[in-house]
Amino acid sequence: MYRYDVLDKEFLADRSAEFREQVGRRLSGELTEDQFKPLRLRNGLYLQLHAYMLRIAIPYGSLNPTQLRKLAWIGRSYDKGYGHFTTRTNLQFHWIKLADAPDILDHLASVDMHALQTSGNCIRNVSADPYAGATAEEIDDPRVWAEAIRQWSSVHPEFSYLPRKFKIAVTAAPKDRTAAKTHDIGLHLKRARDGALGFEVMTGGGLGRLPHIAPTIREFLPVQRLFSYLEAILRTYNRHGRRDNIHKARIKILVAALGREEFARQVEAEWEKIGPGPDLPDTELARIRAAFAPTAFETLPSRSEVFDAAKAANPALARFARNNLKPHKVSGYSIVEISLKAIGETPGDATSDQMEVVADLAERFGQNDIRVTHEQNLVLPHVKLDDVPAVWEALAAVGLATPNMNLVSDIIACPGLDYCALANARAISVAQNIALKFTDQDRAEKIGELKVKISGCINACGHHHVGHIGILGVDKKGEEFYQLTLGGSGAEDAAVGSALGPALPYDKVADAVDTLVEVYLRERAEGERFLDTFRRTGVAPFKEAVYADVH
Amino acid sequence: MPTYIKWRDGRATLVEDVFTNIADGAGMTPGEVIVSLGRFQTEGEALLAEGRKVGVRLTSAEEAEALAYDLPRIAVVALELPKFGDGRAYTNARLLRERFGFTGEIRAVGDVLREQAVFMVRCGFDAFEPADGSTSEQWDAAAHRFRHVYQRSADGRTPAFAERQG
Amino acid sequence: MKVLTANRLIDGEVVFWKDAEWVERFADAQLFSGDDAEAAEAAEAHGKNQPTVVVEPYLIDLIESEGLWAPVSYRERIRALGPTNLNHGKQAEGGAGIEALQHAHGAARSKGRVDLIKRK
Repeated sequence: MYRYDVLDKEFLADRSAEFREQVGRRLSGELTEDQFKPLRLRNGLYLQLHAYMLRIAIPYGSLNPTQLRKLAWIGRSYDKGYGHFTTRTNLQFHWIKLADAPDILDHLASVDMHALQTSGNCIRNVSADPYAGATAEEIDDPRVWAEAIRQWSSVHPEFSYLPRKFKIAVTAAPKDRTAAKTHDIGLHLKRARDGALGFEVMTGGGLGRLPHIAPTIREFLPVQRLFSYLEAILRTYNRHGRRDNIHKARIKILVAALGREEFARQVEAEWEKIGPGPDLPDTELARIRAAFAPTAFETLPSRSEVFDAAKAANPALARFARNNLKPHKVSGYSIVEISLKAIGETPGDATSDQMEVVADLAERFGQNDIRVTHEQNLVLPHVKLDDVPAVWEALAAVGLATPNMNLVSDIIACPGLDYCALANARAISVAQNIALKFTDQDRAEKIGELKVKISGCINACGHHHVGHIGILGVDKKGEEFYQLTLGGSGAEDAAVGSALGPALPYDKVADAVDTLVEVYLRERAEGERFLDTFRRTGVAPFKEAVYADVH
Repeated sequence: MPTYIKWRDGRATLVEDVFTNIADGAGMTPGEVIVSLGRFQTEGEALLAEGRKVGVRLTSAEEAEALAYDLPRIAVVALELPKFGDGRAYTNARLLRERFGFTGEIRAVGDVLREQAVFMVRCGFDAFEPADGSTSEQWDAAAHRFRHVYQRSADGRTPAFAERQG
Repeated sequence: MKVLTANRLIDGEVVFWKDAEWVERFADAQLFSGDDAEAAEAAEAHGKNQPTVVVEPYLIDLIESEGLWAPVSYRERIRALGPTNLNHGKQAEGGAGIEALQHAHGAARSKGRVDLIKRK
């Protein structure tokens, strides 16, 4: 993992001091709320329904045990003993006091963490493949580039007052676990025939009111030229992105308005003028790369007798292994997914106690490495198969061994109207109601991969547009209604879902999802996921069933 | 005489403003003036011929490129921030310094707040008319907030990656 | 009927106006009747004049449910109670006022809007 050096630490300390001073000026009345709001947002501090919410950055979803323990401690000391992992791989605390926020930022800085640029019209927390460094699929470690981007984007002199927020994802595997095509910039590492590393650059994706899947504007950008090219994209956007209408201010609108070719042409023209000046020197890239050097893996057989025996003796462990273990690049190791979607619980929430258990497991069995996924789960990327039974047992003891990765109850949900000042409707309790329809784990496994994503408003933090089943909460005269979309995907086959029909009232949503699943089970051909069946049949059979049921 | 904050040798100091800002449609005054881009394009030659110093005001929608050929004759480029969140002026400032080599004054006018000092100084602004009543001491402290920076920019500060190489 | 509400600056707590003070319980809030719009607006103006005490005070509409006044909008009920996924916030205190609010009817449900869903 990347370790902050003295420069990084001093930078954070300076930022923290600045915020402490700003909070002081607000409390004394020197700053009005209108003046203070953008300043607190730059530090991830929102005022929500019940209290302030602090959104802490977890750059490219990567944490060490010390950091996770500190988050647990902050949750216990300043919040109500839990936190919420988000689709941007951040952690939100929902019960924060303004007066405590500067102290919390200092505590975060003590473990090389911050809330920098987790809100505001700036470059936000960068995301990367949560399996980085662990999957055999990747052609390079995306964290190297994500960390370089994190530094470059921190308090950027020119790009801190953009028309709108700006999100970047980096991935290096054919299987996209970052939802790269829904980002303002998606960077996909590729290798040229001569072996040279480069990025496929996708620009202009985004969800929200007007969802767009990012088109590719450059097939191959040599990695050494990344920062000059990013500067060219950001500068083109900063100058020409719309500033007259907040709903049309994201880069996706500019790219769509100009067309992919014209946007790409403008970027290339600017890039040529910029030249290689902003590119990072190889020495710095090498320094960052060294921080992610592979840990020493043991030479192990591909099968573990201990693990196989435990699985044979324990069907619950076997089920966990089927659903939550993913292949590791090194023989005898596994990637362990930790579901934060216990049936009936709040998607993405973890208690301080749970965080501490995960931190301990990472330390004992997981090479001190923890990842957060954009699907609101955690990952121990490097666990020996021999150790899986012990890890599973410890997880199960604190309710973290739910064997439902990528299944119907592995639901993405934003905090929604239960916490968020922007929300129109609840998302959490809708997720809970749906999950409770699928407590039968055999049935859930039979249904297979099914991504349900719920947002409590059109800002789409719950990624509903790219859910196989997407659910959007709307407000109709003070009452919660939900619009369903089908056929979206945030993966490499990215697509925006299409509307099912008129919005449903709150208490009909879970039944409707159950009905959709039944239609899928009835209609599916051999080997088809829900998404595949929908793409083949279209909306008709699903629509018919749902609106025949609801009355 | 009105005053404004000037950035010299890495320090903010309060100085007297010899320039008069001439609004569009307002009558011309003697002495050093700052006019809009439109007015500069029609009256600039005549004003310069009188031997006075002339500055040009760019709105955030106007691009630095429009002045590219006139820069050697211009004393001040005043970049307007209609509201603090409109970041186009930062790009204009960097291009004036880095691409067009402008060595005159780049002045921030409009919704100019102390919180922006660090960004503005880094992009090449060297003159400020704060809208929040900041003193030069406050501006100076805000602009020096960070001991390290992560990017190369118009201010020539050594970025972290170069500092690390010693 | 209306109530004046805001979030307290220093900790973000939901507060309600009562006789020129800010109180934490909805049940303690001062009610402004429809006939007395002037008093409500005066309170709102007073509240807006306390920028170091509260953030953005605003009036909310109430509806009567079995002899009790409750916020019309679901959002305001959640503010007055706490989130529905956990027993946190004001509802944690419990008591008759909280319970009544939790079970208050009249927040727009069953007004024929389910008719929006067309039957095949």
